[in-house]
Amino acid sequence: MSTGHSPAGIDHETVAEALTAFVNTNIMARGRSVQPDDDFELMGIDSMAMLKVLLFVEATFGFWMPDEDLVAENLASPRALARYICRRRGLS
Amino acid sequence: MALHSTGHAVSSSNALLVVHCDGPIDSDRVRRSLDRFLDVCPWPAARLRRPFPWGKLHWAANRRDPLTPPPVRRQAIATVDELRHAIDAELNTAIDPRRAPPLRLLVLDGPPEVTGGGVLLLTWFHPLMDPRGAQNLIHHLVHLDGHPGDAPWGSTPPVFVRAADPRSFRERGRLARKSLEYMRTLPRVRPVSATDGAAGRVRFRHASFVEHESAARPARVTREIWWRLAVVGKAMCALWERRKCPDVPFLLPVAVDLRRKGDLGPTFGNMLAFHFARFKPSDAGDMPRLASALRDQMADALRSGQIEANDVAMDFLQYRPLAMVRRALRWKGGETFSFNCADVTDFPAALARCFERRVVNAYHVPAVPPRPGIGVFFNRCAGRSNVVVAWIEGVVTEDEVTRIVETVREGLGWTEAP
Repeated sequence: MSTGHSPAGIDHETVAEALTAFVNTNIMARGRSVQPDDDFELMGIDSMAMLKVLLFVEATFGFWMPDEDLVAENLASPRALARYICRRRGLS
Repeated sequence: MALHSTGHAVSSSNALLVVHCDGPIDSDRVRRSLDRFLDVCPWPAARLRRPFPWGKLHWAANRRDPLTPPPVRRQAIATVDELRHAIDAELNTAIDPRRAPPLRLLVLDGPPEVTGGGVLLLTWFHPLMDPRGAQNLIHHLVHLDGHPGDAPWGSTPPVFVRAADPRSFRERGRLARKSLEYMRTLPRVRPVSATDGAAGRVRFRHASFVEHESAARPARVTREIWWRLAVVGKAMCALWERRKCPDVPFLLPVAVDLRRKGDLGPTFGNMLAFHFARFKPSDAGDMPRLASALRDQMADALRSGQIEANDVAMDFLQYRPLAMVRRALRWKGGETFSFNCADVTDFPAALARCFERRVVNAYHVPAVPPRPGIGVFFNRCAGRSNVVVAWIEGVVTEDEVTRIVETVREGLGWTEAP
């Protein structure tokens, strides 16, 4: 597992951990923790819960994910979303 | 919203969870599990109490009253018509929680070609529980069938009513007022129902489909509630046109399940807050744009705290008659909303087996209020995508229901289940 750094200096491992912690603290049931590589949908994260994750991304990383980026590749897991955030931050 | 009388008829506030299994279900085992459940969950062992006239439901027994357990019945059926009739009767035999237990179970036995093997029906007074709560209850009963005295989620006691909100009455009152103020800003919906709003018989149609992955329309996208709302909105457009009101905007409640995600839990009660989606029938012409707009509306509702405020307001308003809610909102005339739509998502994997039978399919059917008198509901179970259209007799015709189901099927890229 690589620990990639985006050009803006965000460590995607740290971002994945932050996303995982948010999901486990605010969305998941006790004893049903997600791991950074877990599939959001398989873990029961429906579209409404995913919206809360996107609002967390907005509040923490300062941008709202545009419609065209809301694809499975970016939303599959906390790590996939972390990679997207780092790419996006790197471009901005 | 609650049991309410319209003229001389009482509308059903029942909701059903229909579970088809691959073999007959032993009703004695269901009854035994329920007895065990009554031993570990304090509330349903007592007759439902509600202080006159509309106090909050509670389950503490009056010391002088006998305990009334919810009934578990068994019925033999021989034909598909009899199966249909039995489910229809459960939906329409209204539970009055002031006089009877607020839930009941029915086991239907019959030939495999009729039932698939066996059918379990859980019927409840729907302000009591939401569909996920009903699944939690079945899960608990199934667990107790093999593990007497032990709850599937450990030591947490099963409850119907959430723990009291720790915030002060003053703070909760402020939040509830905020929600009411928001609701008052919503435009009233012009009546478009074909009926006069009188209570009537609830009808429903259930159809099962198979979902397909496609590059143009990925399953992940079509599973999003925004896409489903847009699809149902498109289906309703044609209905609005036939009612000669093609420009009347849609206002519909979107239920937000406040439970934690991941698996079943000990909470059976109703844990829904609401957000109201608004769009025009003409918006359904561009589905991706409409889905995006509906997602943005929900994001705004979460950002602004409106969902949280609605949750608090519901706590103040729950189990009140719809008329009382309308008075609180100062609504005069019109309909409360345009139509119902909800997605219960996946039937829990933990319920793949029910009383030692494999679950072949399961879906829920809520009775819709007399007005607007129509709703479209989704869920997935055992690889099938289910759609249920429920309506009050007279609101729509059979042909119109067929068109709604077909528009939904087409909009979601589904094919008929084998």
